[in-house]
Amino acid sequence: MTERVGFSVARVGTIAANTFTESLRQKVFNILLIFALVVIASASFFAEFAFEEDVAVVASYQLKSIKDTCFGALSVIGMLIAIVGTAMLLPNELENRTIYTILSKPVRRLEFLLGKYLGTVLLTFVSVVLMSVMFLAVLTFKEARLSQPAKAVVEQTESPVEKQKAQEQVAKIRAEAFDPAIVKGILLVFVKLCLLAAITLLVSTFSTSMVFNVAVALLVFFAGHLVGLAKEAWQAQPLLVYLLGIIPNLDLFNVADDIILGNFVPWAHVGKVTGYGLVYLSGVLAAAHFIFSNREI
Amino acid sequence: MRTPRSLAVVLIAVPAWLLTPLHNQIEHERQQFQYGGAPVTRELRDQIGQGMAIALLAGFRGVAADFIWIRAHDHWEKREWLLQAESIENAAKLQPRSTFFWDSGSWHMGWNIARAERIGTNDITIAQGLIRERYWHQRARSFLERGIANIPNRFDLYFKLGWLYDQKLARGCGGDPECVKLQNTKAAELFIRASEYPTAPTYVARDAARSLEKAGDLPAAYDFWVNKIWRDDRRIRTAADRTIVEREIRRLEERLDIPAPSRVFPKTSAS
Repeated sequence: MTERVGFSVARVGTIAANTFTESLRQKVFNILLIFALVVIASASFFAEFAFEEDVAVVASYQLKSIKDTCFGALSVIGMLIAIVGTAMLLPNELENRTIYTILSKPVRRLEFLLGKYLGTVLLTFVSVVLMSVMFLAVLTFKEARLSQPAKAVVEQTESPVEKQKAQEQVAKIRAEAFDPAIVKGILLVFVKLCLLAAITLLVSTFSTSMVFNVAVALLVFFAGHLVGLAKEAWQAQPLLVYLLGIIPNLDLFNVADDIILGNFVPWAHVGKVTGYGLVYLSGVLAAAHFIFSNREI
Repeated sequence: MRTPRSLAVVLIAVPAWLLTPLHNQIEHERQQFQYGGAPVTRELRDQIGQGMAIALLAGFRGVAADFIWIRAHDHWEKREWLLQAESIENAAKLQPRSTFFWDSGSWHMGWNIARAERIGTNDITIAQGLIRERYWHQRARSFLERGIANIPNRFDLYFKLGWLYDQKLARGCGGDPECVKLQNTKAAELFIRASEYPTAPTYVARDAARSLEKAGDLPAAYDFWVNKIWRDDRRIRTAADRTIVEREIRRLEERLDIPAPSRVFPKTSAS
């Protein structure tokens, strides 16, 4: 009976909102999020290892170190939130038997699956936004501290040469702290997290154990970062290289390091990587749907 | 159940393989833009340690490089120069597009380690100390040259290498005028190269002119001050720039005894 009703975006939205609310009530996400915020907030303490005479060089390294730590936290904690959040969706529904109540109503399995997935994506999105806000706050704090000596020189010195040099330093520190290209890095981290969530959902459509789902997703995460290396190592075996194509190359999403170093990352490149992620993700979701629609519940 | 599972594999495999051209294009762009860094070879894994290698494989290259830099700093405090240099090399290897690692690493080698090696032990003669110091100067030079090969599109490392020639290699000539001339000429070439980048601060071009003068080529230095600095609006941005450049041009006009009609700043009756 449920298969006869038409597809409804509203129902998907309702399930997604419900999944998101349920996830927010889980202590594990709040703890993960608090942990991430603490790591990001303390990032500036890891950045005291530059002792050059040039204030701008020291600032450059300290800001790099802060950005590295913040992107690292965003990526690791975001990954845990996305994977754990998705891994527990279907097993919990089955264990609590709430899935029977939902699917006995005129709700298609595709709507149920999409709703669940989008709920986790929303949770991941909110987490990424919160972590990014904290990231920005840390950068603002650090920028103010790093440029303080140069600002003092600008205000106090009588020497025009010293004043000019200090002004250049203030401008350089500001430009480096608030580099708008950071947004590109955060966007690609988010797309990577959505892809990982989709893979976890796919695994959970044929498994009943949350631990198994998390373990497989983590393995895919590591394998995804090793694809490039494996391709290089197996260059002489085209069949293996061809088969490797089935594993998403997660290294492609790592442009944050280069953005932090001030390398130019064009929007066209970001668009291509996003496109790669979204197409792959769609295939994974379609596969999850096919398995889930035929699963005995 | 078997059919949907097989179909599921097909549903992932088909888009994944269809994505191969896009994937290859992205990888090509990554190589073109020089994203990432050295691949994680067995040799690199042995050098950086297992923990760092795992972090690297999980995509945390920046964090791993930062921790290795902290390790380098730790070796510096313990006066373990060779280990410090190795950590610096590894940090730069992990993120070869980071100006900081090349810049600060060469500063440690050329300034801190070199000096410590010259004066740091009691069981060597002055000459042996100087040899050790020069070894580290040369190591800093070679390190910066590799840095430039990795980041040829920024002024920073050209300037830093010019500064090394100016401050260390020229001064290490021991009074040999040919050597001093050679090192200062090299410094001038690098400062000139650095000054050609629009992001270079105004003092970079001035350092180029000064190095030409130190190399003994006064006409070239004067020509640079006048034609490459004074007549280039990008180099004279503030009143301070104007004051410095005017002072230097006036000084060289005196030294070279430039005829009054050819001078940029003709002699006033007061002067």
